[in-house]
Amino acid sequence: MQSTATISQMAEEARNATAHHVHEARDARELTGSQILCEALIREGVDLMYGYPGGAIMPFYDALTSYPALHHVLVRHEQAAAHAADGYARATGKVGVCVATSGPGATNLVTGLATAFMDSTPIIAITGQVARPFIGRDAFQETDILGVTQPITKHNFLVKRIEDLAEIIHEAFRLARGGRPGPVLIDVPKDVQNAKTLYSASAPISSIEHYRVTRVPHPSATAIEKAAHLIGEARQPLIMCGHGVILSNAYAELQAFAGKTRIPVITTLLGLSAFPETHPLAIGMPGMHGPAHVNRAIGQADLIIGVGLRFDDRVTGKVSEFAPHARFIHIDIDASEMHKVKRAAVPIVADAKAALTALLDAVATGNHDQWLNEIRSWEAQATERGASIERNLECPDPICILEAIRAETGGDAIIVTDVGQHQMWTARHYTWTRPNSHITSGGLGTMGFALPAAMGVKMGLPDATVWVVAGDGGIQMNIQELATLKQQGITVKVAIMNNGFLGMVRQWQHFFHNHNYSETPITGPDYVKLADAYGLTGMQITRRADVQAAVRKAMQTGGTVIIDFVIESEANVYPMVAPGSAITNMIEETAWESED
Amino acid sequence: MSDHSDNRKAAPSITERAGQVAAPKGTERSHILLILANNAPGMVDRVVGVLRRRRAQPQTISIGQSEIPDVSRITIQMNDSEVGVEQLIEQLRKIVDVRHIVNLSAEQAVARELALVKVNAAAESRAEIIEIGNLFGAHIIDLAQETVTLEVTGSEEKIEKLVALLQRFGVREIARTGSVAMTRDL
Repeated sequence: MQSTATISQMAEEARNATAHHVHEARDARELTGSQILCEALIREGVDLMYGYPGGAIMPFYDALTSYPALHHVLVRHEQAAAHAADGYARATGKVGVCVATSGPGATNLVTGLATAFMDSTPIIAITGQVARPFIGRDAFQETDILGVTQPITKHNFLVKRIEDLAEIIHEAFRLARGGRPGPVLIDVPKDVQNAKTLYSASAPISSIEHYRVTRVPHPSATAIEKAAHLIGEARQPLIMCGHGVILSNAYAELQAFAGKTRIPVITTLLGLSAFPETHPLAIGMPGMHGPAHVNRAIGQADLIIGVGLRFDDRVTGKVSEFAPHARFIHIDIDASEMHKVKRAAVPIVADAKAALTALLDAVATGNHDQWLNEIRSWEAQATERGASIERNLECPDPICILEAIRAETGGDAIIVTDVGQHQMWTARHYTWTRPNSHITSGGLGTMGFALPAAMGVKMGLPDATVWVVAGDGGIQMNIQELATLKQQGITVKVAIMNNGFLGMVRQWQHFFHNHNYSETPITGPDYVKLADAYGLTGMQITRRADVQAAVRKAMQTGGTVIIDFVIESEANVYPMVAPGSAITNMIEETAWESED
Repeated sequence: MSDHSDNRKAAPSITERAGQVAAPKGTERSHILLILANNAPGMVDRVVGVLRRRRAQPQTISIGQSEIPDVSRITIQMNDSEVGVEQLIEQLRKIVDVRHIVNLSAEQAVARELALVKVNAAAESRAEIIEIGNLFGAHIIDLAQETVTLEVTGSEEKIEKLVALLQRFGVREIARTGSVAMTRDL
């Protein structure tokens, strides 16, 4: 935060940058805007996109058939295109691409863009726009999509001149993947798609200044030194890692750092699978539905080393009571995350991988076994308490469903969850070991995310087994994508935890609204018949004894399989922290259905 | 461009701002943000959008051409805590069109505002109005049957003082630009 910098040095820098290099390559050909779009996408390494045609994007779709290198997946709703691109990006680390027409096509992308924005995933949305002479005249299917998406994209572009198109596409990709990744939208008027200009596939991609947006800062040496000092002094430290570890591919560095310092590791919802949960230092997930021992440890910690996370309110609960005795070392690539929630003693604005590498060199070998053992003893108490609670062993239980999936896939599957109770159960009770195997909409909490996102995950990692775990509410939000899965021959396995309720909302109503189950009971289709109607395989499981066999059968059956697990209707996610309260103040499970 | 709409409401304390580090009450002070940003379509929208979304409370915003072609200079005057302003600056830095931001305290800045003040001026009070104006270095830029319009440049306080002195004649209209500022060289 350079409040002392003077503006004059910048002026010079800016002047130097205005000299614009115009390149006239020998291989330049006259192409239409649509063809340039395709060429530039290929040049960016794109081979897959999700979209839906319509009036203002038709010239692009016309060109698309001449570019077999670009595989286009026709979704059944544009929202699914954005989620699929997002799932692809999360699974592969590459930029996901979605395409829609102007107006309703573009606005249908909005939820997907907001989801990607909150969770920092790189996607490019290409939208058609009405022809330039019609812009601003309330033309048919005209929406100011730049205005609409401004708060939920890293940046967005309206292509006003065909000559700028190629450069804008390349810039959009750099912006989407650079620094803290995020979605970028390119709005292309129909007449720009049809206009022609010279295009050279070998012309150098000009490097427009990107200021701070694409910068990958390296950690400052003094900050690392200070951090190492704090780590050396700490008696009850914790590492808290988030999505940034996954985004920067810092698994090995995190393990090495934790291993050398012997500091217990907490993983946030989006950090799950960044650190293997079978590791002796892994203690679990923090926050609203974190296990008691993790939140208790946070309450007693004297140092929190946050790596690639933003201290979301679902993690902190009441901020003033979050880690009240701890100092914070906060590593994040985005400077605006520093001090946003908690004042950091040592802010380190850097890529997680670079920061962990530097820290690893700077710290001394440590030992916090006493602290770890204390945390483990709290964990053991909770386990003991949990075991003493009498449970309904008849119907399929969320935990046994997750255990069955894990057992049948050897922990190698990618699990894509939706939003709600099943999401928390999965986060908590699936033992994450494969790096980046947990994919969910964390920040925005977008119901309907899982099925289309899983489509993107599977197409990005065709060799992986992909399981969707969803509730009976969320699965119905983008269920039309079963048709896309069928048409594309994409195989994902779907486990629906069906409790006949919008379960998480019902749980809140149970605890905070006097059991007033307002509009949370929900019915659904017969999923077996539904699967059949889409040409897929469906099963319904009502007995716990049949869970494992059903999962096995789903794995052995070709194509997409849907299993409708009819679970306990009013099971709650425990423990739970009431929103706005301290995370050490947990509502714990007392007895199965104790509320009755 | 002055953001009066928000000022009319009781300004929420910065400590209540969601998602921000709690800053102790009474730590707010005046800040002047100088922003150099590419004069791209929608740039102003993006800057103002961040101010709105991050619940900043600008008192004045003025936008004009800078010394660099196609680069605008935005001067924002606001009251906030150090922490709040630093947060806001980092958010503003993420706007692709924003090239540079400087946060100046009142002492670090040379700041001036321009105001046009139209005052009722009956024949008998006209000389007095002009005399007051002269004391403030104001120019008379329009003279009509019933009114005098003064142009005055200076600090916010100076303009407010002049306006206060003219009130008794009846101020009909005031147009203020908001501050423009530069770093004070040593």
